[in-house]
Amino acid sequence: MTEAQDIYIQLESVSKAYRVAGQTLPIFSGLDLAIPKGDFVAVMGPSGSGKSTLLNMLAGIDRPDAGRVRIGTHSLDQMGEAARGSWRAHHMGIVFQFYNLLPMLNAAENVELPLLLKPLSARERRVRVERVLDLVGLAGRERQYPGMMSGGQQQRVGIARAIVADPGLLLCDEPTGDLDRASADDILEMLQTLNQVLGKTILMVTHDPQAARCAKRTLHLDKGVFVEEARAAE
Amino acid sequence: MTFLHLARRNALRKPLRAVLLMVCIATAFLIYGLTTSFLAGAQGTSAASEDILGVTSAGGRTQALPMAALSPLAAIPEVAGVAYVTRVRGFVDVEKNVVAVSAADMARLMDVNGKSLGLTPALLSAMDMARDRVLVGRALADAQGWTVGQRVAVTAFDVAKQDGGRDWRFEIAGIFEGETASTDTYFMIARYDYVNAARARGRDTVDAFVVRPSAQVSPAVLAARIDARFANSASPTRTQSEKQFLEAFLRQYADVGLIVNLVVGAAFVTLLMIVVNTMIFAIRERTFEIGVLKTLGFSSVHIVTLILVETSFVFLFGGGIGLLLAWLAAQFAGPELGLVFSPAVLVKGAAIMVGLSLATGALPAIAALRIPVINAFRTR
Repeated sequence: MTEAQDIYIQLESVSKAYRVAGQTLPIFSGLDLAIPKGDFVAVMGPSGSGKSTLLNMLAGIDRPDAGRVRIGTHSLDQMGEAARGSWRAHHMGIVFQFYNLLPMLNAAENVELPLLLKPLSARERRVRVERVLDLVGLAGRERQYPGMMSGGQQQRVGIARAIVADPGLLLCDEPTGDLDRASADDILEMLQTLNQVLGKTILMVTHDPQAARCAKRTLHLDKGVFVEEARAAE
Repeated sequence: MTFLHLARRNALRKPLRAVLLMVCIATAFLIYGLTTSFLAGAQGTSAASEDILGVTSAGGRTQALPMAALSPLAAIPEVAGVAYVTRVRGFVDVEKNVVAVSAADMARLMDVNGKSLGLTPALLSAMDMARDRVLVGRALADAQGWTVGQRVAVTAFDVAKQDGGRDWRFEIAGIFEGETASTDTYFMIARYDYVNAARARGRDTVDAFVVRPSAQVSPAVLAARIDARFANSASPTRTQSEKQFLEAFLRQYADVGLIVNLVVGAAFVTLLMIVVNTMIFAIRERTFEIGVLKTLGFSSVHIVTLILVETSFVFLFGGGIGLLLAWLAAQFAGPELGLVFSPAVLVKGAAIMVGLSLATGALPAIAALRIPVINAFRTR
């Protein structure tokens, strides 16, 4: 296997700018990034450095002005919105800072949402939901609604929803940003397990240095440029 | 969980709002069901035949036609049968208790229109026994509490008797049921020879001839032929189908159909504005969640379908309750109201429900489609 084939996420000369009040605000200008399959990367940086824009482009919910965004064999920048949506449903899970659970659905129904897009029977969906809820430590809480759960529990539901369709890539946007230290440590341990045991490729945006230490390597983004890379001690 | 389940959860996420919307929709469809049932039933026009023709004076309904017109009318080759009718309108006991008496030759009426009125040989035989006997329609008999053998007096508004009085006394010989539930049976049938002999004026005239066309001719063609036959006579005619005849008769008082359509239209336009407005707000509140669904991979088709199913759920539930209440009202209302909740009322109501749910869902659905995910996330 060549080095090029090992690369799972690749950004090539990506540029992005926003127009705000008639002014052009550049975010990236020729940004490059390569992440191999099975890696766990934390991206840190000050507010406005472009972390969220990077995550949005990798998720296919925002597009670069120039350059290429390639994940696996797919070039997201070449796909239409519908194709990117379908690609997300099958290959990617997203964990949000504020969980983003639907309040009128219980834990099991929230987790089941991505499976509605797959050709699975009700029984197959139920089995998968039970399995991932068990995996994140929420067995027995299937019928609880988000409003009845702590932040940590809601984030576990969010992670279960992100992995229930068995995607290869997890994008995490400040997954511990709204949690106390103990809950945050639980979530980070879970992400490490998903990476090390299940082989998920994880890219996590965070402000929390302790969270970043759980990743295999940490990239520092400042003013749209990766300025530093740190690898975790083996 | 299914998409339907998800749409239902969305629709009921604010129960009070959902219930108020459904009450609003149910009220609109109750109005629709009652007014269209009224139109279909009490007016009797829905059951009136398009094939039976009514021949009246071209000068208007208040002008009678001479009985002498019967022979030339019956001589027209395409005429299969002719009956004649004189109407006596009056009241029983109190002036607001209005009833109508159609005086006819029973054998001819049986031949031309007996089936739709539900006349039977036994009823005809009962009428033969005395000249002052009448057949009472089921709706009128039930409303007045009349029974066979009872004697009733009708005080006529216009038709005076030779003795100067206006009280017409009859003995009830039988009750006719009408062919269907929507047949107008809120009147009675007297013998023409009795009314004609006793009335002070207008003897040997009729208010209308009732014509049954032969099978070979279209009613419209025969109507034109009859009017042409009498065009240059002393009594020119105007010939219409029974349905047109009844509708025109009712329009003398008011264009009930137009009033009903305006009332129903106003109710539905108001409903449409309320529901569209509410749904747009409801969807706008959920912009963030729609962004989440799109991020999870839900396509535009999924999102639009979810919103349309959600509005359909509210409409079908609320509208169904409204139509059910209208059906119950039609079952329990007195026959004098003549409400007939026919299958046509139900089918048209269901079609309006589906149409309105798609129309009200379309605007919020399009609005949801236009929201980029990035913008949706900024709404939190």
